[in-house]
Amino acid sequence: MGEAVLEVERLTRRFKNGRGVGPVDLSVRGGEVVALVGPNGSGKTTLLRCLATRSTPDQGRVRWFRSRDRRAARAQIGVVFDATAHADELSARSNLAFFARAGGASDESSDPLLLETELLEVADEPVSSYSYGMRRRLLLAEALAGSPRLLLLDEPTLGLDVAGQRWLTRVLQERSSAGLTACISTNDTEFVEQVATRVCFLVDGGMVHDASLQELLDSLGGTREIRLKSRSPLPLQAMASVAGVEKVASTGEGATVLARQRDGLLADLLATMGDLDRSLLDLSVREPGLADCFLRITGKALDA
Amino acid sequence: MPERAAAVPLGAVAGRGASRWQPHHLWQLELLATLSRRRALAIKMGFPLLLVIPLAATNAPQFFAGMLLTILIAMVGTVGTGVNVTRSRGSGWLDRLAVLPIPAWRVSLEIFFAGWLVDCLQATLVLVILEIAQRPSPLVILATWLLALATLAFSGTIGLAVATLTDNAGEAMLFLAVILAPLLFLSGLFTGVPAEGVRYWVAQILPFSYLSDGFQLVLHGNPPYGSPGAFLLAAPVFLLVSLAACAALGRPLMARGA
Repeated sequence: MGEAVLEVERLTRRFKNGRGVGPVDLSVRGGEVVALVGPNGSGKTTLLRCLATRSTPDQGRVRWFRSRDRRAARAQIGVVFDATAHADELSARSNLAFFARAGGASDESSDPLLLETELLEVADEPVSSYSYGMRRRLLLAEALAGSPRLLLLDEPTLGLDVAGQRWLTRVLQERSSAGLTACISTNDTEFVEQVATRVCFLVDGGMVHDASLQELLDSLGGTREIRLKSRSPLPLQAMASVAGVEKVASTGEGATVLARQRDGLLADLLATMGDLDRSLLDLSVREPGLADCFLRITGKALDA
Repeated sequence: MPERAAAVPLGAVAGRGASRWQPHHLWQLELLATLSRRRALAIKMGFPLLLVIPLAATNAPQFFAGMLLTILIAMVGTVGTGVNVTRSRGSGWLDRLAVLPIPAWRVSLEIFFAGWLVDCLQATLVLVILEIAQRPSPLVILATWLLALATLAFSGTIGLAVATLTDNAGEAMLFLAVILAPLLFLSGLFTGVPAEGVRYWVAQILPFSYLSDGFQLVLHGNPPYGSPGAFLLAAPVFLLVSLAACAALGRPLMARGA
């Protein structure tokens, strides 16, 4: 791993309604792709905005590339927020030219980026004619325009179709293998599993876990995720008392159960439901993933 | 400064359009975007004509003609900048600009400058029509034109200040009306400037009183209070004050919503 790119000490940023993030400590080294994972309202976007120099922490401090100079940091950071605002009347090429120049790059860097983001063919059309996915691609091209050393992405897969997500995954994998450091705020765990090297779980503004992706996935060996959809509320406490069950979390339409695999597990689970099993709409069992790690560690479902 | 990460090799790339001139500064991008909105631009350029042509073609009372044209210039500057910047924040555009290595004062100045250039086109059109209809002396038309540009800058600064107070374009319009109305009153636009007292001194430090005089001079050749020489001196002062205020507003403008 390379030198420290980001160092966060006791960062706290709270809003008037009490929501926000912190205190949080975080250190990101060169070449890492760190995912900030948590449900809505967990503070991951607030944290990312502080890392992007957009927000100032109430307490604590952030150091970028071993310096606290925000302006110098901006010259080396590429940021993609959730908003897709552009100079809509102008072409992607014109928008990109501005962001490239602002980031200290030349016009020559534009075409390779447009090719990489698969926008070269439509580069001279006004951005107003672009779909949401195309705008997201252009945002990434603009963020990469200054050849940043650190890329900060807020919910990058939001609104992208399957092809768009595949493209984003490929670009991030290529860029990170070329040495780019990235910090991604998301609750799309399938995406994180493909691009991240490290994962930080956030709940209610606090960082509750920080580990490598491999470490987290390895910890799930021998477990299964069981998803139940039901018309009626499920007996979560009774389900949690079944042998082998590690965590039970309510979701919007039923529950997610994380359990050690054993014979008779499903039968025992269904038995706790009594007559309620008639209201069961769906039951699925699958290999656990990062979302299950989140459930096991925090006791909360990401999609709750 | 540490070295940047190496770019991913991408192979041969078509260079279609790469040699075309592209905006490198924010003001260029903003100006190009405004000029690209052809219909909106045509309406913006056309609506002052609805006011200025009847005023220039008829013998409208001097005081009211000066007042109306000054209010027109004031509204063009305040509403144009205020609503534009408020919308930019609402769309997330300012968020994006805030994380670029461009200081806040420069972002503020460049956004203001692009809007001001378009507003200046509008004011120039008004002055051209007055020149054609009234044939004032070159000094008078030059002095009034410069005053109009300075007043647009002053009004744009008010618009920028309002954009630091709200994220809503409708609310910005209300704020602008609440701020602009007393300033126009204190400039003597509705009642004339008193010969002494606080209102006299306030009118001396606001560009609207000078511009109203300038328009009256253009339309009828006899200004009630000022002279072309005074206008020529006042215009750069108002312009410089406005630019300084715009730069100072950069930080609060970018801080909102952070």
